[in-house]
Amino acid sequence: MKNLLLSSFIAILFSCCTLGHYGRLTDYNSHSYSEFFKIPKPIFGENFNSFLFKTNIRVYGKDFSGLLVTKQMQPNDYRVIFTTELGMKLFDFEFKDTAFTLHYCVPQFNRPALLKTIQKDIEILLMTKLNADAHSFLIDKKREYAVFKSKDEKYCNYYFTEIKTKNIVKIEHSKRNTVKTTLTLTNYSDNFPSAILIQHHDIKLKIELNLLKK
Amino acid sequence: MNKLITLVLLFFSTFLFAQIPAGYKQVKDTLAFKQKMEAQSKLVNTIESDFTQEKYLSVMSEKIITKGHFLFKKVNMLRWEYTTPLKYLIAINKDKMYIKDNGKVSKYDINSNKMFKSINEMMVNTVQGNLLTSKDYKAKYYENEKFYLLELTPLQKGAKDFLKVIQLYIDKTDYAVVKVKMIEPSDDYTMIDFSNRKTNQPIGDEKFIVK
Repeated sequence: MKNLLLSSFIAILFSCCTLGHYGRLTDYNSHSYSEFFKIPKPIFGENFNSFLFKTNIRVYGKDFSGLLVTKQMQPNDYRVIFTTELGMKLFDFEFKDTAFTLHYCVPQFNRPALLKTIQKDIEILLMTKLNADAHSFLIDKKREYAVFKSKDEKYCNYYFTEIKTKNIVKIEHSKRNTVKTTLTLTNYSDNFPSAILIQHHDIKLKIELNLLKK
Repeated sequence: MNKLITLVLLFFSTFLFAQIPAGYKQVKDTLAFKQKMEAQSKLVNTIESDFTQEKYLSVMSEKIITKGHFLFKKVNMLRWEYTTPLKYLIAINKDKMYIKDNGKVSKYDINSNKMFKSINEMMVNTVQGNLLTSKDYKAKYYENEKFYLLELTPLQKGAKDFLKVIQLYIDKTDYAVVKVKMIEPSDDYTMIDFSNRKTNQPIGDEKFIVK
């Protein structure tokens, strides 16, 4: 009974927090930030470049370390391959428009729920589905971030662009105002983040990407 | 009928010929080669070398190049360290395996994990050229003026899933492995070139313990 009370209290406390999570954002309708009033440009969509990251995937206490390479094949077609440092391929994904193709995957990754989650994380980062989704523009009360809110089935993705630097510094993947995943993009150099952290809040999954070469 | 047999023979001879890598011919006396390789391997107690690793992925326009340094000491001690563009270290010390990544050291018991055991066997045997005596691979032997080329096809199901063939290039003068190419079923490959190789220089055991 005591535990039930305690957990109810915690649940109420958290639901209050989450209800307020996007309360600081208001609809954007001023003309002073008109340059942010557009669909953000995909950060990986730069002249068909490839990007190489030192990568760590920590899932339920298990670590997978290696190199992740992304390559833009067509304007809205990306290939993402993860190999170990020694060169063994772990997975090979393709994101084309709204379609996803699994080209290869080792048995350790071949679990539907895990694959689907990592696929979704990368898709949010690549921003391949933005044009197809319903969207709106928000701004925080302190006028520090312009926020692009994009509907993603039952979820919403919030892309936070720092007004001062014009860089996307954070992406939140949320369901009913509860943040499920936070993607943090830091150490920008030449308009590209050198460090990306994908942190899940409802499952034990963390992906760290550190840029080695672009 | 004779025509048909000729045609079949012709087809198979072409097929066999196509299997031989360009510029190479089959080694006639494979037993003598194996004995020589084994004898040379016995003379080597330590190896130190730089390496350049090339990862070829057919969909990418550029290869992923990583470089580093490796140390080997008998029996079963190996330090494989990437230095550019990333810092990553694997050290094998008999039945222990260490991985240092981002300054964090993880220690594993090789026998506790089938994958670590096979990584260990493959790495240690590759640098020594000992894979040719393994029952897990079917070997083919080729040569040109400078090199022996060993083509090893994995026979075990687990290995076959991610590895089509391993090619070992062996210098004819000192029987040293100078290049390893691991080709995946998709024909993507990982190639490792060894350079600045020194043998039998003293290497302290502490190099194979990572803290």
